[in-house]
Amino acid sequence: MNRRRNLYAALFFLAPAIISVIVLRLWPALVAVHYSLLAPRATSYSFENYTYIFGDPVFRNSLWITLIYSIIVNPLQIAAALGLALLMNNRLPTTGFWRTLILLPVAIPQSVSAVIWAVAFRPDGLINAVLAPFGIGPQPFLTSPDQALACIILMVSWVGVGYWMTFLIAGLQDIPKSLYEAVTIDGANRWQRFRYVTLPQLRRPLTFVLVADTVANFLVFAPVQILTKGGPQGSTNLIMNEVYTRAFLQGDRGSASAATVVLVLLVLIVVLVQFRLMNDSGEQSR
Amino acid sequence: MRSLRTRVGLLLLATSMIAASGAAFAEQVTLNFLTAEKDETVAPVIAGFEKLHPDIKVVHTTVPFDSMNATIEARVGGQDSSIDVFLVDSPRVPAMANRGYLMNLNEFRDAADKVSNDVAMGVVSWKGDMYALPLWTSTQLMYYNKDLLDKAGIPYPGAKEEDRLTYDQVVDLAKKAQAAGAKFGFLPEQIDRYYQLQPLFESIGGGSGLTGPDNLTPDITNPKWIEAAEFYSSLFKDGIAPRGVPNDQMSSVFTSGDVAFYIGGPWQFRPFNAAEGLKYGVAPVPYFKGGKPVVPTDSWAVGISPYAAHPDEAKKFVEYMSINPEGALLSVANNPIPPTNEEAYKTYIDGIAALNPDVGPAAKEIMTYELAKNSVSRPRSIGYVAFEEIMNRAFSDIRNGADVTTTLQQAQDQLNSTLARIQ
Repeated sequence: MNRRRNLYAALFFLAPAIISVIVLRLWPALVAVHYSLLAPRATSYSFENYTYIFGDPVFRNSLWITLIYSIIVNPLQIAAALGLALLMNNRLPTTGFWRTLILLPVAIPQSVSAVIWAVAFRPDGLINAVLAPFGIGPQPFLTSPDQALACIILMVSWVGVGYWMTFLIAGLQDIPKSLYEAVTIDGANRWQRFRYVTLPQLRRPLTFVLVADTVANFLVFAPVQILTKGGPQGSTNLIMNEVYTRAFLQGDRGSASAATVVLVLLVLIVVLVQFRLMNDSGEQSR
Repeated sequence: MRSLRTRVGLLLLATSMIAASGAAFAEQVTLNFLTAEKDETVAPVIAGFEKLHPDIKVVHTTVPFDSMNATIEARVGGQDSSIDVFLVDSPRVPAMANRGYLMNLNEFRDAADKVSNDVAMGVVSWKGDMYALPLWTSTQLMYYNKDLLDKAGIPYPGAKEEDRLTYDQVVDLAKKAQAAGAKFGFLPEQIDRYYQLQPLFESIGGGSGLTGPDNLTPDITNPKWIEAAEFYSSLFKDGIAPRGVPNDQMSSVFTSGDVAFYIGGPWQFRPFNAAEGLKYGVAPVPYFKGGKPVVPTDSWAVGISPYAAHPDEAKKFVEYMSINPEGALLSVANNPIPPTNEEAYKTYIDGIAALNPDVGPAAKEIMTYELAKNSVSRPRSIGYVAFEEIMNRAFSDIRNGADVTTTLQQAQDQLNSTLARIQ
């Protein structure tokens, strides 16, 4: 009887979370799968929406752009965040000030920073004015298909690096000092201390940062929508923007749902591979 | 455990009592009104309506112009009852009616017919049914900066129909003004938007871009379309118009005195009059030599969501805005855009003439003949929404220097596959 009561109490306290997961996660996911299998005007399930999007050069291009973007942005952000975390982990007089400065962009809503960056990126804007004294001619930035994606990467990294750095600093501060002392006595140099103490000890926070950053970058939307709307010539048409365009601008719910399912599968595969890799490397270093 | 259960029970009881007492007080009906306008634009018409119907309160929600489509798709498409009335860009009526996003308003047909012309009535109807009430229409003028023209020794273009310049003439004058110090020569208000650019293709004789019985066949790669698109591309390539300035910042290029010629709507009178030190005049929109003069037209209409929580009150509100001349006039009191209500229009156009003694009379003359003779509506098609989105992207690429023929061909291919799904 007591056990049963405890179960009820547990259920009662868990109910908000369970209901939220069902209503906000599982149900929409099922709805997306349902619509993705319904072709326009069709009454029975088929893979027509999937055949359609994979036959559509715009969607294929957006997948390709998303892959290129992910391959560049994730290592870049994590390397920068790790570098800054190592730097900021030192007890220097103004570390607090610099940490705050690096973390500050996180406190600004992404949409607001995008609007500000849009003004800076204008061909007659701030960045070109700063570059001019160094003899660098006016750059087209967001108006050029060769530079627009790089501009987006710069903007999201400006926001993201500080955020991910905070997790890594927390991880660094968790590493017992005794480990460093031990390897120093063994004669380890700076690189060896980093390679054999810091990195293995940082495996858990790094795994988290790697996975969370990858997912966040797959889902980047506001900067693209505000800065380029996927252009010029589809060069920044990341998959979230493509899904949005299909669902809300062209009103093609079926193909948007199919694209969403493809995105979810893609993210799942990448994250699973990442978990596997991080675990493997963890096993080896033990 | 028991005490927990008792507490939860008490909490639920209290909540339900508060909810019940709230319902007892809620005699006033609240209508939710969604637009892409500023609060101040719709404030006069809402105040006028609330005075007439003290039991109805209208709450205005504004979203950015570019998000209007997405908002309606998400909220009305999601059968959300919290939007009662919304503004709908009139060429989107067929697509929205086809998807069930607009309530049938046939009951207002006779009353609306008496106060609106056939064009205004036509654009809010689809397959013989009426799905919105006409509200505003639009036209465009070519504004010019008097100081920049003076500096270059260019005489002011006339306001009469026969004074209309060709696009090539305007570009020549624009280059002359730039040589004399103007930062930019000639630019359109709404870059990349089909509304603004349709006149280029129609003026040269390339057509609207959609053909076929239901306007579901794209036709944007014909030689005339390519020629007009090359012209648009050259404005930016040659530095006559700036690249990288977003739509909502375009009019500031004119108000800051950086551009000689600027094509825009009558809604610019207010900001331009308010701009300190800006001396401007108006002329008719140019045309292509050998082609015909064409200006864009139509604007927002007002519709009711089929899922509206308060359809009866919503009907009273749209009737007041569209059919009641007083309401129609109040709807443009803070936004000088022509109302479709013919009685309100008479007062409106005299107001335009009085707005600014320098440009008012010329503006009234131009707007009167453009609205009567040279306005071309956007194509009516259930595929218009998708068409517009794809075209706007293509225009953006062309403006940023993409090859014109390739871009139009890609857009045509995309339209073929997208429209095929809509048919």
